[in-house]
Amino acid sequence: MIISLNWLKKFTSIDMSVSDLATLIGARLVEIEEVVNLGEKYDKIIAVKVVEASKLEGSDHLSVTKIDDGGVTDGVERDENGLVQVVCGAPNIKAGQMVVWLPPNSIVPETFGSSEPFKLGSRKLCGEMSNGMIASARELDLFDEHEGILVVDNDIAPGKSFAAAYELDDYLLDIENKSLTHRPDCFGVIGFAREVAAIQGRAFETPDWLLDIAPNFDMPNVEKVELNVNIDDANLSSRYQAIVMSEADAGKQSPLMIQMYLSRVGIRPINAVVDVTNYLMMLTGQPLHAFDYDKLVAVADGQADIHVRAGKDGEKLTLLDGRTIELTSEDIVIAAGQTAIGLAGAMGGANTEIDENTKNIIIESATFNLYNLRSTQMRHGIFSEAITRFTKGQPAELTAPVLAMAVNLMSEWSGAKCVSDVTQAYPVKTTQPVIETTSAFVNEILGSEFSSDEIIKTIKNVEFTAEATSDNKIKIAAPYWRSDIHMTEDVIEEVGRLNGFDNISPLLPKRDFAAVRLVEFDILRSNLRKIMASAGANEVLNYSFVHGDMLKKANQSADNSYRIVNSISPDLQYYRQSLTPSLLGLVHPNIKQGFDNFALFELNKSHEKYDGLNDEGVPVEIDSMALIIADKNSQQGAAYYQAKYLMEFLLHRLGVKLTFKPIESDNDDAFFAPFEYRRSAMVTDGDKIIGVIGEYKKSVSKAFKLPEFAAGFEIDTMALLEAYNNTTNSYKPLSRYPATDRDVCFQVEQSVNYNQIIDAAEVALAEIELDSEITPVDIYQTENGETKNVTIRVKLISHDHTLVGEEISAAINHVTSAVVAATYAKVI
Amino acid sequence: MDNVKEIQDKLIAQVALSDTPREILKSSELKQLYGAITSLPVEERGNYGKSINQLKRALELAITSKELDLENAAVETIDVTAPWDKNTGRLNLLPAEQGTRHPLTTEIENIIDIFTRMGFEAFESRQIDNDENMFGALNFPENHPARDGYDTFRTEEGFIPPAHTSTMQNRILKAGKAKLEAGGQIAAVSYGRVFRNEDLDATHEHTFYQYEGVFVSKDATLGQMIGALRSFFEIYYGQKLKTKTQPAYFPFVEPGLEFAIERPVALGGKPGDWLEMLGCGMIHPNVLKSAGIDPVIYRGFAWGGGVERLVMLKHGIEDIRHFESGKLQFLRKFL
Repeated sequence: MIISLNWLKKFTSIDMSVSDLATLIGARLVEIEEVVNLGEKYDKIIAVKVVEASKLEGSDHLSVTKIDDGGVTDGVERDENGLVQVVCGAPNIKAGQMVVWLPPNSIVPETFGSSEPFKLGSRKLCGEMSNGMIASARELDLFDEHEGILVVDNDIAPGKSFAAAYELDDYLLDIENKSLTHRPDCFGVIGFAREVAAIQGRAFETPDWLLDIAPNFDMPNVEKVELNVNIDDANLSSRYQAIVMSEADAGKQSPLMIQMYLSRVGIRPINAVVDVTNYLMMLTGQPLHAFDYDKLVAVADGQADIHVRAGKDGEKLTLLDGRTIELTSEDIVIAAGQTAIGLAGAMGGANTEIDENTKNIIIESATFNLYNLRSTQMRHGIFSEAITRFTKGQPAELTAPVLAMAVNLMSEWSGAKCVSDVTQAYPVKTTQPVIETTSAFVNEILGSEFSSDEIIKTIKNVEFTAEATSDNKIKIAAPYWRSDIHMTEDVIEEVGRLNGFDNISPLLPKRDFAAVRLVEFDILRSNLRKIMASAGANEVLNYSFVHGDMLKKANQSADNSYRIVNSISPDLQYYRQSLTPSLLGLVHPNIKQGFDNFALFELNKSHEKYDGLNDEGVPVEIDSMALIIADKNSQQGAAYYQAKYLMEFLLHRLGVKLTFKPIESDNDDAFFAPFEYRRSAMVTDGDKIIGVIGEYKKSVSKAFKLPEFAAGFEIDTMALLEAYNNTTNSYKPLSRYPATDRDVCFQVEQSVNYNQIIDAAEVALAEIELDSEITPVDIYQTENGETKNVTIRVKLISHDHTLVGEEISAAINHVTSAVVAATYAKVI
Repeated sequence: MDNVKEIQDKLIAQVALSDTPREILKSSELKQLYGAITSLPVEERGNYGKSINQLKRALELAITSKELDLENAAVETIDVTAPWDKNTGRLNLLPAEQGTRHPLTTEIENIIDIFTRMGFEAFESRQIDNDENMFGALNFPENHPARDGYDTFRTEEGFIPPAHTSTMQNRILKAGKAKLEAGGQIAAVSYGRVFRNEDLDATHEHTFYQYEGVFVSKDATLGQMIGALRSFFEIYYGQKLKTKTQPAYFPFVEPGLEFAIERPVALGGKPGDWLEMLGCGMIHPNVLKSAGIDPVIYRGFAWGGGVERLVMLKHGIEDIRHFESGKLQFLRKFL
């Protein structure tokens, strides 16, 4: 929204620089995005009188003019009468007119501030000297001209600055609308000026006509026409007023000064009738609409019978902009008889549009349900100045004074006369609540020290009624235009804001001395990040949503993903079911960037439809950690073991013991789906499966262009936390006696797993009264061999004596025979 | 037509058994079916053609899936319990110096660390939630225009990827109610990922991180809120700071403010250069009520700010899209 400083000044005085004002408004009302100096554009530009105008010989459209600039322009060629010659191409130029002259060395306002500002000079046109130019409204960057050069008012003295004559020596404040969503009153210049007065500590006085909520309408002595207005559903509109005016001259323009003000705040002047509605909207925030009376009556079988009702499903309406839209029951429709003639609050219908032949008009001043309008706005993509104001919730009381002023201005600017009574439907009247508070309460919430008098003065400045009662309270009521004031807190905001929140002294809340501990899960996650980074891995963050193709490539079913229905891009269509697919997607791009060997990991949340909803009725969230390690260059051995090594490092750091179990068959669970089960393990905590580790399916690997050497894991971090919490201290005191190592080599069938050997050995060692440790030494298999040789090192530790040979042999024999029994191994 | 169906079943059965399923597209049965078109009366050709195309599609599908199966079948099983592969040996970690944490998670940990030291508990925000938590419990009636500012995504079921961490506020208030009523305070921060349906550019992300605070007591004031926020930023930047506010509108607070700090020394320190840091305000009584807390007895304040902004300012990061790009070039610049 653009606010003109000069327009504001018509309602309140401002006694500070524009930049100080912008700062003050920023601190106490709303953010200003930009301040534009409008006056700069019109430097040197003046109003002049056309003294002579004659056709230029040899040209079909040019005229030679002599202008009177009041002698104010220096360094320009003049004739013996002191007049300046300008060649002009506009068809409407005539002697006697007052026009706007851009003298040599001035810049055409339309090009001001652009990359190529156009600077005028003196040059010959068809042999005649032309000094500067006479400007059109477009060249003056005002609005699209109607017929050529801009002819200005005759009472301006030649030589007067154009900007001064039309108050264009102005500043425009570009307001960040969003933070005024609750302030319909601030969407009009008067409402904005009220705030500007109050934040300067001044009392504001609203013009009387706007305070008069039950205005009288002057009715000329004519026969009245019938006008019916009905609100069919009181939920859609709380008030609808209308009046018929005749003899409106749609060919007439509004005063030039008004056109100048409208155009600088972004409204194109059209004609007097339309300009009245726009001008009052910009002034008060209340949008108005004008229908062609005769067209409306024709549509409604000869009667002016207006209804406010819900749209009917399938009903169609052609709008002023030529679009035909299909209505729904959430749209509010203005209907004449049965026929829709307008989308309420948003845009009029083509069937009752004002055109150059319009004589009789109906002016609508109404308020509509803002929630319906908001959905209409979104559904039909209408973002007009009017709907922007309506969706802030304009108060119903406002319609009457604005309609009364509209009638006056219509008659003044277009010559129209009232020919009907003001007809209204006003099914729901709201009253402003009376709010009682105390200065103590205000100060308690703000942390301030305002007296009752200061509070009363502050809100009286914005025209609240406020008085101190005998029992030390303050009784407050907001003026009718403040539909946002419902309760004490709303008033407290006004007091704090208008006086400046920054004037309140900051304090710290009092707290007790108890220390706060992070939740265990956050501590674990922080540790996981540090451990993985110390293992050379890089933490990444990926979007929570993925493309359907990514699910497919990772062998996950789209049916299991929550689907986003209004996504801006297909890349963000599905919730992730696990973190692994996004990581898979990062391998190839990073290899292309020249990274050969890396591990990426992510800790984040994923969501699967199959997991259902939690107690709160929202989808279950799984916290997990995924990692992928890849090497562009081939490596010895399967990538699986590298991933497992990283995971074991992690578990070791946490002191958690988990088991890696072979997977019997393919598993389409979201975690497992990308993994090749024959080269993957499930990670378990006792009987509980908490994750998967392994290499990826060939198809997955191909789809993501993974290098040969790639593997990874994904584990449920909440389950990992549980395992972590169940971990007991594994520290054993050091022994004073030397430990003994023995290597044993088992030859086993290829199908025997390493863990079968270790498990048997561990069970056997547990039966011996010694501490022990087992570490792998070697796993050897001849090419095409049916068997493999697994060498392990058994460390035996006694805490009370030095071990002797027999004791050691007995222990090792016990272990080997247990392994042999369990795996049919041969000890070699 | 029956004939077509019969041949389809037969060919698909062949695909299931074949080691070279794509060859079946060249089978003589298929050629004969194509050839037969010309011998049909003109009016039957359309339907016939359709059924042949259907067959072809079904066959293609079967072949592609069989090819995938074949590819996945040629896989050697490994001993997943072993410490390393046969005939290899002990493994090594990647070079420690190339490991990094993500700058956003690192910064979140820093922020949370300060707030916990100030006495705030920390809770991670959800990534999928319902309308009630996202809007309803926060005093945004349905169709309220203030909802527009949030550009929310929605799922088919009507769930919402939260557009602010305030989606946790009602939960935090409810969870803290007992403590509050026992004479304590609610002091909590929620942090996490939020989503807005926006186009990406160097300064806009549809996915980003927020941190949000909630404080409720019997005597919370706006002055305390400004004090607490100033204190946070002073600890964060390790210096005294000038701060200012400006009025703002958020339905869940009343009054609502934007909070700004003067550019600190660590970021080049320019007096008069204000950095907007977060939105804040006194918790709206309706928000307290919807958590069952009596707004006559208790009052609170809340705030919410973005993490990316802090991190970008701190490191001079030029493009917000780097954060979720997964580029090692970017990630390895951090610690």
